[in-house]
Amino acid sequence: MEIEHRRFNRVDMLVVSGRIDAATSPQLKQRIEALFETGRYRIVFDFAQLAYVSSPGLRVLIEARKKARDWKITDLEGGDIRLANLPPRIKEVFDLTGFTSLFELYSDTVTAVGSF
Amino acid sequence: MDSITLTADLVALAKISAFVTAAAELTGLDERATWQVQLAVDEAATNVIQHAYDPDHPGDLTLTWRCEGNRFIVALRDYGRQFDPQHVPPPDLNSPLEERQVGGLGLYLITRLMDEVRFDFNPQGGNLLTMVKYLTTGPRDDVAILPLTGRVDAVTAPQVNREVHAQIGAGARFVLLDLAGVTFLSSSGLRALLLIRKELMTLGGELRLTGLQPQVYEVFTLTGFTQVFAIHATVDEARTSFGLKHA
Repeated sequence: MEIEHRRFNRVDMLVVSGRIDAATSPQLKQRIEALFETGRYRIVFDFAQLAYVSSPGLRVLIEARKKARDWKITDLEGGDIRLANLPPRIKEVFDLTGFTSLFELYSDTVTAVGSF
Repeated sequence: MDSITLTADLVALAKISAFVTAAAELTGLDERATWQVQLAVDEAATNVIQHAYDPDHPGDLTLTWRCEGNRFIVALRDYGRQFDPQHVPPPDLNSPLEERQVGGLGLYLITRLMDEVRFDFNPQGGNLLTMVKYLTTGPRDDVAILPLTGRVDAVTAPQVNREVHAQIGAGARFVLLDLAGVTFLSSSGLRALLLIRKELMTLGGELRLTGLQPQVYEVFTLTGFTQVFAIHATVDEARTSFGLKHA
């Protein structure tokens, strides 16, 4: 798994390629925590190159979203994790596990970043 | 049948994935079915790695696969603490984000992605998880005859492999290679044929050869491989030797 980071003004983007499984999900969690620790709680994931996700990966994503949304800048504006460019297989895992309704999904990163 | 045994740690996951993906592709499962098998096996292996043994002293995990008719069968064995699927919480698929629980997803995915799932345990054999994926095209029960021509060597072996695998993917299990047009066979070519033979046997099939020109037959006698391969003088004789109803 490789994670590329792009920083925008208000939002950070993580481009994840390869596999998120039990072996690599701790690394993903660390990467997200590193952003949270610097006070950055708005993250877009670009999953265009994500080949594979298993349940430990799903767990990292849902826990990250819960934590991001808990953080509020003002009463109206808070953090979030939003997902872009899910490949068909990844979308299928999300559908099977009922995760599709748990995240805001976007078909391109520009809209995803702009949604914040 | 083929198997792999590894220490049940996270490093094993990538190897297990590669192993089962190759097996599924060889068997002729399409891309989607191969992905489903890969994910189910990954979830099953993850469970063993995370729960079967004491994390400081991980034991072994053995993955076995075989093909019986149109059933692709994968079995995962460990010798750790007994796993009882009844004790796994049912997955939460509907709660909103704040209340959503993430337990039980791995087991749930396994049962959704595979066609048959069975858990067995006994004190000697440990935990045995058996998963089955049905092939959409049943295997052929007739002989697939594949003519080869020219040279069979290191350069042409990949092409031979591709042709045979295409046949296997379309259901062929009983393959007759007609070498009448083959003028030259090197040790690399022989190695390729040996691998094809092994793969077909793993699938419950057979490889036979016919039409060997004298200089090609000599490569087999010199290397002792006339004892290993079933070599026939004619196509008809080879066909009969498979012993199939519709040869």
